[in-house]
Parts: sequence; C-alpha cells; structure tokens
Amino acid sequence: MRDAFRRVPQSQFHEASNGIIRANEKISKEMKTMMRFGLLAVLCGWLSLSANAVPAQSPWEQPAAALAEQIAGILGPGQMRLTFRNLSSIPASELPDIQRLLEQDLKTRGVTPAGDESANAVRITLSEDARQRLWVAEVIEGDQTQVAMVELAPAPPASTPAPSGLLLRKDTILTTRAPILSALEVGNALVVLEPDQIVLSSRAANGWQELKRVSIPTTDPLARDPRGILVTSQDGASFEARLPGVRCTGSLLSAGAATDWTTSCSASDDPWAIVTPPAGTTSSTSVASGASVLRAFYNATRNYFTGVVSPSLDVELPPFYSAALLPRAAGKAALLVAGIDGRVQLTENGAVSLVAGTRDWGSDLGMIRSGCGTGTQVIASGSGEAASDSLRAYELPTLEAVPVSAPLAMQGAVTAIWSAPDAKSLYAAVRTAPNQYEVDRVSALCN
Amino acid sequence: MFRRFAISLLLVMVGASAWGRTRPHYGGVLRVEIEGDPWSGPDGLARGLVLDGLTRLGSDGTVQPALAVQWQSDDAAQHWQFRLRSGVQFHDGSLLTATAVVDALNLACNANCPWTAVHAVGSSVAFTADSPTPNLPALLAQDRFLVALPVTADGATPANPIGTGPFRFTSSNNGVLTLAANEACWAGRPFADSIEIRGHRPIRDQWLDLSVGRADIVQVPPEELRQAQQQRLAIFASPPVELLALQISTSGVLANPMLRESIAAATDRSALFNVIFQKQGVVTASILPQALTGYSFLFNADRDLNKAHELRGGLAAPPLVLSFDGDGAMQLAAQRLALNLREAGFDVQVSDANHSPRPDLALRELPLEGSDPAAAMEIALRAAGEAVSVTARSSTSLFRAEHEFLDRKTLVPLLDLPRAYAIGQRVRDLALRADGTPDLASASLEDAP
Repeated sequence: MRDAFRRVPQSQFHEASNGIIRANEKISKEMKTMMRFGLLAVLCGWLSLSANAVPAQSPWEQPAAALAEQIAGILGPGQMRLTFRNLSSIPASELPDIQRLLEQDLKTRGVTPAGDESANAVRITLSEDARQRLWVAEVIEGDQTQVAMVELAPAPPASTPAPSGLLLRKDTILTTRAPILSALEVGNALVVLEPDQIVLSSRAANGWQELKRVSIPTTDPLARDPRGILVTSQDGASFEARLPGVRCTGSLLSAGAATDWTTSCSASDDPWAIVTPPAGTTSSTSVASGASVLRAFYNATRNYFTGVVSPSLDVELPPFYSAALLPRAAGKAALLVAGIDGRVQLTENGAVSLVAGTRDWGSDLGMIRSGCGTGTQVIASGSGEAASDSLRAYELPTLEAVPVSAPLAMQGAVTAIWSAPDAKSLYAAVRTAPNQYEVDRVSALCN
Repeated sequence: MFRRFAISLLLVMVGASAWGRTRPHYGGVLRVEIEGDPWSGPDGLARGLVLDGLTRLGSDGTVQPALAVQWQSDDAAQHWQFRLRSGVQFHDGSLLTATAVVDALNLACNANCPWTAVHAVGSSVAFTADSPTPNLPALLAQDRFLVALPVTADGATPANPIGTGPFRFTSSNNGVLTLAANEACWAGRPFADSIEIRGHRPIRDQWLDLSVGRADIVQVPPEELRQAQQQRLAIFASPPVELLALQISTSGVLANPMLRESIAAATDRSALFNVIFQKQGVVTASILPQALTGYSFLFNADRDLNKAHELRGGLAAPPLVLSFDGDGAMQLAAQRLALNLREAGFDVQVSDANHSPRPDLALRELPLEGSDPAAAMEIALRAAGEAVSVTARSSTSLFRAEHEFLDRKTLVPLLDLPRAYAIGQRVRDLALRADGTPDLASASLEDAP
C-alpha cells in the first residue's frame, strides 16, 4: 500500500552521499584482494592510523561541494562575483565556515570569486522550508539567470536546559506516528497499546524493533480522546490491556519470540485496574479492605472514570481522569484523583478532601517511588497553559501539594502518564507534533 | 517573514481558567458566527462538519485516512483504488457503500475532475485517469469532494446534506443552522453536544456578539487582524492558507502574452499589502509560499511600471473587466489593481464576479493546502481552473514547473493570506485545520456540564 504521505525524492545532496558509499564499497573490495596476499596486518595498521588521522567533518562540506559542482557545471571555469544571504535558521556564526567551504569548492572546480568587474555573478541564498533546508544559487550570466539547488536535512531540534532541584529526567524510548495509550517495557520486550492495535517490539542495537502487531477487535467507533491502560500480572509473566469496552490479555514471557506471542481480546465493561502494587513485591499498602488492586469503571462513551471503584472506598468519589496511590504511615494508603472539574482530591481515612496547590496541574498524574525525600512523589502534567507541556514532582505532606522538582519540559502535549511496573520510574506519552508521538521514561535523581 | 509568522502564531491566547486545565469536556453548545454561507464557499464550515471525504488533511498538512483506510495506485499513478472503512453509517442510518461514494463523487464533480472515471469495486472505489495523478489522495481531501448521501433509502434526494461527519443537520431557523453531535461517528463522538452556526453575519456584529458572550467563535479577516489585536480579542491565526492572485484570460486582446506580462509587471503588491490588507500576510510572486518550498524568494515581486509600459508598446487595449468575488477587502483590492493597471495605460472596469461571468481579469483567492508542495500546487491550480497534474518531486523540478507555469502570465500571485478566528473564554482545545478553518469537532467547552 502506498504511504499516505509521499516523500520528496533523493536530492542531489543525497546523490552525493551515495557516491561516497559506493567509494567505500570499492575500498572494501580492494581489502579482500590485499588479504589474499597476506597483507592483512599491514592493512589493519594502515586503516587504524588513517581513521585516527581523519579530521572531524563539517556538516556543511557535502552540501557545499554539491552546490559548487552544480554552479561550476553552469558557469564553467572563470571568474564571478559571489554574494551570500541567509534566510534560514543557520546561526550567523556558521556562515563564514559555509562561505569558506563554497569558495574553496568553487576554486577547485576552476570558478574563482572576483570583484565587481566580472560579468558573471552567483547569488547564494541559504533558505529553508517546513521540511528541509535548501541552498539556492542564482547563477547570473548577462541577462540570463539559472538556478541550482541542494536539499539538506532539517535543523535538529533545540536541546532543553536541565532543571534544578530534585531532578526529573527523561529518556525517549519510542517515537511513532500513531497515538500511544500506554506501554510496558519488560526486559527486552516492549508492548505498546495503540487505539486499535497492540504492538510487540524487541530491543535492538538502535532502539526497539517491531516484531508483531495485533489488531484489537472492537465494534465501537474510535474515541476522539482515546484512552487505555496496560498492566502486568503480579508475577510479571503476562499483561492486561484495557480499552473502552474491550479487555485483552497476553503473555510477556514469550514476548521475545514473536511467533509464540499471542493475545486474546474480548468485549468487557468490567472496571479497569487503576492501582496495582509494584510488580515482584508483596502488597505493603492497601487502599481499602486490605485489597492491593483498585479497579475503576470507565465511561466508554466519554474519556473519564465514573467515580465508581471496586472494592468500594465507602466514600463517593467524583468522576475523574486519573488516580495515584500514595503510601501513608502504617501500611495505609491514600488515593489521589484528578477530577473532571479540574480539582484534585485526596481520599484518606474515609474522607474526600480537596488538595490545594494543584492549580497548575493538568488531568494526568502518576506516582513514582524515587527513594528521594519522603520516598514517593506524585508526578503531575502541566495545565496546558504553556505552548509545551511539562511534568513536575510533588509531595503531599498535608492537603497541599508541594513542588519538589523543577518542571521537566516535554516536547509536546502529555496525553497519558503511567507508572512503570516497579514504580521506580514513570512513562509519559507525548504528542510532539500532529501525527508524531513519543514515549518518555521519566525518572528522578536525588540531589 | 518567518518572524512575522511566528508573531502571528503568538496571537493565540487562551483564557485562563479557575482550576487546572483538564482533558476535553463533553457537552454544551458551541456558537459560531461567520460572514458567508455555512454550506458553501471558504466559510462553509457546515460542510466539513457534516460530511467526510475519502481522505483528509491533518493539521500538519499530511494526507490522512478518512472514509478510505488505504489506497494504492499503479506505477504510473493513473489507476487508484481506495478501500473504504467498514461499518461507517450515514446520519440516516444507511451504510456507507462504494456505490454511494461513486454516485456522490460524480454529482460533486462534473468538470475539471482529477479523474476520467470512477467506479465501485466491492468495498473499494477505483479511479482511472488519462494522465498520472500522483496527488489524487491529497486532491480528494478537498471540500468539493466530500461525500454526501446522494439518494435516501426511499429514493428521494435529501433536502439537507446527509453525511458521515461528526455532526448531523437538525434544523435551520432564523439564519441559525443547528448541528447535533453524531454519537456513532467513526472518528469518535465530538465533544460539543451541538453547534449553532449563524451565517451571513457582518464582522462587527460577530465581534459584538463575542464580547457579550452570545458567540464563542467568530471570524477575523486578515485586514482586521490589527484591529482585533487592539481590541484584545483571543485570536487563532493560521499560517498562509490562501493565495490572492490575479487571473488573466488568454482570449481576446489578452491572447497577446506581452500584454499579460505588462499587466503582471504593473501590479503593485506592496500597496495591497500595506494599505488594503494592513500588513497582514506575505507579499509573493510565487504560487507556493516560502514555508512550503524554501525558494519563493526567487520570484520577483517588485512592480516595474517602465517595463509594463514597454511591454504594452503603445497598444490600445479595449476596456478590460476585472472581477472579484468575496468581501469588501476583495473589492478594495480589485479597485487598487485597476488603478495600477490604469497607470500602465490599461482601461479597467471593476465588477462583481456575479455580474461578469467571463471577465478579462479576475481577482481570486486560491487554496494553499497541505504540506506536500506538489499536491498544494496542483490544488491551487485546479482551483484556478487549470486541469494540470503536478508530478514534480524535487525542489529543482518543482521550481522549474512553477516557473514555467508563471511564465505564461495567466496567473499573477499577489499575497499569501492567513485565516483567523477569535474565540471566547469557554472554548478549549481549538486547533485550526490545514485549510485554516477551526476543527470544531475537537473543540470542547470549559463550562460543559
């Protein structure tokens, strides 16, 4: 099937790169010949020395050479006036280097910059569009103008400064074009829940390699704000996926072997497990009646939990978007919920209380056992007032949330957060751009 | 240029709420006011809410599946097959079928279609074209190819459009069109329970209604953006999504390419930009904007009156008719262009497009849609009535194609214009679609129950 978006074909710059690859292949053939003559040791030594002697390449070398090649092809050897302008995001500090490279490449092709006396002129414009950088040369000979272009990769995204205080840090583990509702990273396997599919990947040298994709059978229409969860069994051998009206289960132990990996889905309106004890531990905290797992009914036609939970907490919970369990003294626990009215409430000792200091919170929250401070922090998404979302750690010694970290800037809108099976880290699904999503692993470092 | 665009985007301001912002709420009535007709033209928001296309353009401009989930073509891109999404229902409960889509497309397109034949093949829709149409998936996302139920189960033609979109028609009273949420929408139930669209509402009345809480989303024409900023309206402005261009006929005296070139040289874009459009948008001499190609600056946008006189060469052209369609700014722009051309020795009369079906010159607003430059160029040119297929892919070949087309001097690009809307404090999660119109199905209301 044809991809929904067509890529612009390879540019001249890319063609130049391919030329270099072909040159390397040629070297490889020569090596084989030399090995036959017993010169392996000498060659290895030579290659080693050569590798050490190669200076760091400027990223502008190849595009400058490609553009110079085209200009020389139009003008032929001779003199010309050369002018530069920059309409791109390339910093001004880089321009002298680019200009020097171009002049050098032109000279080697017999085209030399001259003064105003030359009838020929070359006007270089460093430009860009939404997808790529574009270097344009307008080659003017008398009243004739010809244009040469070289396409370059787009500018890399700017790095974000590190926050101070209790340090939240993130590592991006996955980027996709499909929305991600939840993900489980277990050993060398990654299970990802998308709105209509479950995806199994295995760890590879350059990230995660997709092994298998299973469609989730559902008769309901898609949700406009899709949500779902993935939880592991207590022994960590299997997982349960929940989507509105559907429950799927699958094995984790065989996840590394894609052929053996099976899932099973069925229609279900049963409540979702929103609070589970950390995998591999015995429950040290209980939210109600000694139960270690708290389940909540999800409104399948909307995007929130109804407030009805199992087992009952003997209090009336408001409809809520997300919840986290906070350990309290003597093995007890309190349930923190982000209500659909924007209020954050804490259920503890049979009472529901409003939590102050949550004005900046969004509707997604999770818990992390960092071992720092009180040992457990709440991680809340930002209110969405800013252009990009953020995550921040809080502690709740009383009924007021106290920030204990600087906001961790995310690369877009946080659409879901959930704790890792061991609760030592937390994951965030982020929409970084339209049709661009990523999963970030967020951990806390004690300062 | 980029800085001005960035500043425009910063105009987007959202009212602060009393509590932390949350996921979108369901419920409530969203009230929208527009200057034009809700069912037609660039303001026709209702069509996009009630009807879906086989494809759609995502907010990033890429082609996304809609009623079709997959598509493929032969190597020549002359035969295409679009597989329909299963289980989709029209608002009257009837099932979406390939036959219904074919009938709808045949009704929607009877001239200048990007295909020569369309027919149903099982649960797929197949297109055939005489020449390569690599941009067909993007073309099918256009408003004109939205799918409306052609005939109801009892054989009648629906009085109001029946589609598969997130909202369905419920009533039209006293100039207010009411649409209700489609609970079974394949793309998910929209957040608002209903939308009320008041059409044919003057801009000043829209702004007044917004200020007193009678409207939630109103229009801000490009030439009024500065005024809206001064009134501290919360504005959503798109990147350039419309090309203001002068279309020149090739019949009569204008069959002479020198005269067409003379007209192109005489146009004063900076006057349109500075005076009529109050420094909003971007002056351009290219079809595609700089942000889409990176080479727009290669087309000279400066006026050259001497060259215009020289090219006309003393030819006494008969009076020319310059038509415009649209609002007051378009009329002012047409009058300004007529003034430019008179300075170059042309006798030009300005006329409303409704009163001059075959004008010599026409001031047009052409769509700039999508992130694929080749598809965007084909969409713009087809909107100008040119039956062309843009197959160029690299920047160099696309530049060459654009240059060759503009050299014919049948279309003179003038300005790239944004679309903008002002929103009330109740509105949340509003985003603009690729065509710059608001994505009302994904908007929610702060005070929804």
